[in-house]
Amino acid sequence: MNTTTAQYAIKEPKGLSPRITWLRDYFFSGVERGWNNEFMPWTTGTDWDVQYDEITYYIVPETYAFLQTFRSSFHQTARAVKLHDDFWKWSLPERRAWFVKEVMAGYMPHEVLPGDLIAGSRFNLQASRCWTKKELEERDGLIYGKKGARAMMKWFHDHGFGNSGATSGHLIPDYQRALVEGWKGIYEDLKASVNNLSDREKKGPRGAQLRAMMTAALMPKELAARYAAECRALAAKEPTPSRREELTQMAANLDRVPWEPPVTFHEAVQALWLTHMLVMSDENYPGPGVSFGRLDQYLLPYWRHSIDNGMDREFGKEILKCFWVHANTAYDAMIRVGGNQGITAGFGQLFNLSGLGADGKDMTNDLTYALLEVIDEMTPILEPKPNVRLHRNSPERLLDTVVSMISSSQGAPFLLNFDERSMAGMLREAKRAGVEHLINESNVHEYASVGCLENTMVGNDRSGTVDNNLNLLKAVELALTGGKDLLPFTDLLTGKTEPPARVGPDTGDALKFGSWDEFWKAYAKQTRFIIKKCVEIYEMSESARARFSPTPYLSCLVGGCADKGLDVTQGGAELGFTTIEGVTFATTVDSLLAVKYLVFDKKECTMAELMQALKDNWTGHEVLQARARNRAPKYGRDDDYADAMARKVMDLWTDETWKYRTKSTGRRFRPGMLSWNYWVGDGFILAASPDGRPKGQFLSNAICPSNGADINGPTANANSVGKALGGKDTGGGDWKGYLNSLPNGASHTITFNPSLLRDPEHRTKFKAFLRGYAENGGTALQVNMIDADMLRDAQKHPVAYRHLLVRVTGYNAYFTAIGRELQDEIIARESHNKY
Amino acid sequence: MTKMKTVYDTITGPAATVLNIQRMSTEDGPGIRTTVFFKGCGLACSWCHNPESISLKPQVQWLENRCIGCRSCVAACPEEALAFEAAGVVIDRERCAGCGACADACPSTAMELLGKKWPLGDLVREVEKDRAYFEQSRGGITASGGDPTVQAPFVAAFLRECVARGLHTALDTCGYSSRQSLEMILPHADMVLFDLKIMDSAAHRRWTGAPNERILENILFIRDYMKNAVRPSSLWIRTPLIPGATATIENVTAIGSFIAEHLEETIERWELCSFNNLCRDKYRRLGIDWEFRDAPLLPRSSLDELADAARGQLADPSIVQWTGAPRVEKGAEGGPEKRHLRLVKGCTTC
Repeated sequence: MNTTTAQYAIKEPKGLSPRITWLRDYFFSGVERGWNNEFMPWTTGTDWDVQYDEITYYIVPETYAFLQTFRSSFHQTARAVKLHDDFWKWSLPERRAWFVKEVMAGYMPHEVLPGDLIAGSRFNLQASRCWTKKELEERDGLIYGKKGARAMMKWFHDHGFGNSGATSGHLIPDYQRALVEGWKGIYEDLKASVNNLSDREKKGPRGAQLRAMMTAALMPKELAARYAAECRALAAKEPTPSRREELTQMAANLDRVPWEPPVTFHEAVQALWLTHMLVMSDENYPGPGVSFGRLDQYLLPYWRHSIDNGMDREFGKEILKCFWVHANTAYDAMIRVGGNQGITAGFGQLFNLSGLGADGKDMTNDLTYALLEVIDEMTPILEPKPNVRLHRNSPERLLDTVVSMISSSQGAPFLLNFDERSMAGMLREAKRAGVEHLINESNVHEYASVGCLENTMVGNDRSGTVDNNLNLLKAVELALTGGKDLLPFTDLLTGKTEPPARVGPDTGDALKFGSWDEFWKAYAKQTRFIIKKCVEIYEMSESARARFSPTPYLSCLVGGCADKGLDVTQGGAELGFTTIEGVTFATTVDSLLAVKYLVFDKKECTMAELMQALKDNWTGHEVLQARARNRAPKYGRDDDYADAMARKVMDLWTDETWKYRTKSTGRRFRPGMLSWNYWVGDGFILAASPDGRPKGQFLSNAICPSNGADINGPTANANSVGKALGGKDTGGGDWKGYLNSLPNGASHTITFNPSLLRDPEHRTKFKAFLRGYAENGGTALQVNMIDADMLRDAQKHPVAYRHLLVRVTGYNAYFTAIGRELQDEIIARESHNKY
Repeated sequence: MTKMKTVYDTITGPAATVLNIQRMSTEDGPGIRTTVFFKGCGLACSWCHNPESISLKPQVQWLENRCIGCRSCVAACPEEALAFEAAGVVIDRERCAGCGACADACPSTAMELLGKKWPLGDLVREVEKDRAYFEQSRGGITASGGDPTVQAPFVAAFLRECVARGLHTALDTCGYSSRQSLEMILPHADMVLFDLKIMDSAAHRRWTGAPNERILENILFIRDYMKNAVRPSSLWIRTPLIPGATATIENVTAIGSFIAEHLEETIERWELCSFNNLCRDKYRRLGIDWEFRDAPLLPRSSLDELADAARGQLADPSIVQWTGAPRVEKGAEGGPEKRHLRLVKGCTTC
């Protein structure tokens, strides 16, 4: 068999200029590049210094084994920065603001790649946390030890609850303000705020925070000056007149922006990029869901201005394409780790396109289409990630473009968000959290998505959209056992095995339950417990971050921080939420349905037999397992009986989630459903479940039905998802008849066979499916358009499919770079849809 | 048992024997549709892709890839019609009464009952679930089969209920039915999908088990009926292209000439549905040696020729479309395009 030739053609970039072709190819040459944007560590020079803040990785279980290694290695390789004489006299936020600015403007190299139209290249750094020895000791006291944040989060994960940690990004900074007012405007405001403080306040934490933010607000200006100088130096040496002119123009742009408000489109994109990349520098984290919001709306005035003044539309797209390449260099952070240059999945620098405006107006415009063209011409590429907002009145032309792009790619090169359902969720949030003055019918259309599909407001909202990932299924296990782990736990690092421990409340001996109601009550109590536990675990990292890991630069871009004089990590945002993402939803619903069906309704087995089967991982209980898998009702089939259980589970856990706030920062917990890749890994931790799933098999993904359960096709699948979120209420609902329990949104992936898009007639049918989804479905949809044969071919010829993107949860991954098990899972999914 | 069933029917209203309900069907008329496959057909086409739909009687089949070998089915069968042998479950078709006890007992859905009873109310509720998608696509409900006219009183009542709920309705028929059945159903069908398979009556009988005169009379009846009725308002003709049977230039030309002479002013579309062999396993499972088991798919070039022959007969050639799966040819042009065509679902009535 030929090992390099692919049988199928995959999407290739098209119509790229030599400039963009070179930049794109250069990016994909990865480790072979002379230039890269790898993490650079910097130190204050003290021997106790720390760069790596492990808290931000608590939601990435793959890194747990390396937390200490990262901390040590960054420290060992860090280069010293000459400190300001008063450095150690300043408050922590002032030290940190100064240090990051000093490194970015004074120490990091300032390079411009050949042909590039946008400046701002190295932004991945690991800067000193700037702690004094005393601060370090206090902070480490919170992290280490048997009851420390690290041990507790690891316990939480090891016992199958999920994971939790205060992580970076995952918000939409107020980029629009940075463009409209320039950093000068932000700086002047901060100065006025400081001046308005009383002397006592000035000496206190409030004054310190505002001064730190003022320092941070100067960073874009100082950095732009360095890049302007670099452009001029390059121009002086440049033999080609046209390139010389470009470099001169770039220098002129950088003289003005991002300090002054941009006027032209070129200036606006330059200002946006520098403003954005510095968020990643400030947080020391590459592109973790730091999202742009509605790019086609707030860049539109500049686009129009330049087009009206003679900018070639293609040149405008060329500027955007340079911006695209820049966003991708976030991946360079750990470029030497793993295959495919460490690029395995999307980071989620997301932007929205189109969507509703005020008074039900559709906001699609020429820039929307220009951005879609850029996506189409650049794809396959991972960042920035597009999310197209659709609604009942989305124009035909937009849907035509969307469907045509889906049909020419392996999966949709964007996520689709559905405004009506999403906005209903945001208004539910406003009501539940009592923030109707900030989110209401007059402004809810301004919402935008973070990371993949996590809906938030823009510029004043940190909703911690991936901070808590809770396996709802754990409550089923605890209801069966009366609060103990079902299985003994073996620590893979130490090899030690502990007998099943009591980890939850005693809800009685399930073997003695005489009715389904008794079981449900036990499940409900355990659900309340796991949520409370998650809240407690989160508090540990949240409070440590609030005290020791300020991000003063980002705080400048989040409404509320300056007014309150609080860092965004301290709850400074006007809208402060943290999201519990309910993981394993369908597995949980199906497991409850199976317990009810097998033990109580059909009496196919006793509770004792079921329990034994789960302890034995179904081995020796194959008939019962087959009944659980095939005969018990399942969520995802538009079966009202099963979907009513989904609804009940949804109500229970979301109502419970709304009850909590973080103690240290006052952020309200809110519910969502996004499973990132946890549904894969945690399938190996959680015991066998009553739905017939053995330990080691994947759990269900986000709000999707369990793999293979959606036997009634895409419309039934979508209807079930809509019902699980609440469906509709003709009496009004949360918004215009729509109900939505999950303000954060819910990840939903449906895979279609490419034959569905084979001709214009069928493409029209697919458009109608999307419009039907807007009526009946969920908040967001990832459309996959791949057939199983092609994926099997990709397994055989990985080299030929190196750039084949598949999308799981709107989390993008290179098919050939993901594990064999997940590959097989995706193939099973595809095969299922085939007939 | 039978007595009980009759009592049940009177309590709950009429029920039909339904083979399958396919949602989001994009191949059975305009828009997104829910297609209800009614069991039973007056013809027995030797190429039939849904052989399990021909008999009105419920039947069982065994799906080996789902079987876990537990023998629950063997124990459950009141007729002792099942045996578990080295090759798997063997069904004695003579003994099997199609009661479905084995399917009820099977934990893994490997034993499947083909033909379930659906009371009218339940069926209407079921098909109404995709209303939103119908409305967005101008789709609706298609009654298919088998041939739905075999269960005409139920199908008429069913489509009437659908129309009353504002759903678009289509009758998909092989045309071999009584005038009475058609008269019952037509007032409730917004459109008709009608099969014309073979123009030569003797050949028609050879391949489908019945001559075609009644079919040709019926299509003309429908044409005339449409002139004075609100429904149906639209008619599509479908012709399966079966290698060696219907897929000849002569036959397609003859059908085309019939359409040109009698129907061209009435019909909206003439679909040529390319043969596929995805149903090979169905025959095996039903214990039938299928004549077309090893027949190759039609090459793209033959499909084009046949479509050209069809178009050549019509004043408006644009109403001719072909659908289905051409043979995959190594080295042919058009990689991704061809891939799209490769997996298209075949015509459902043939």
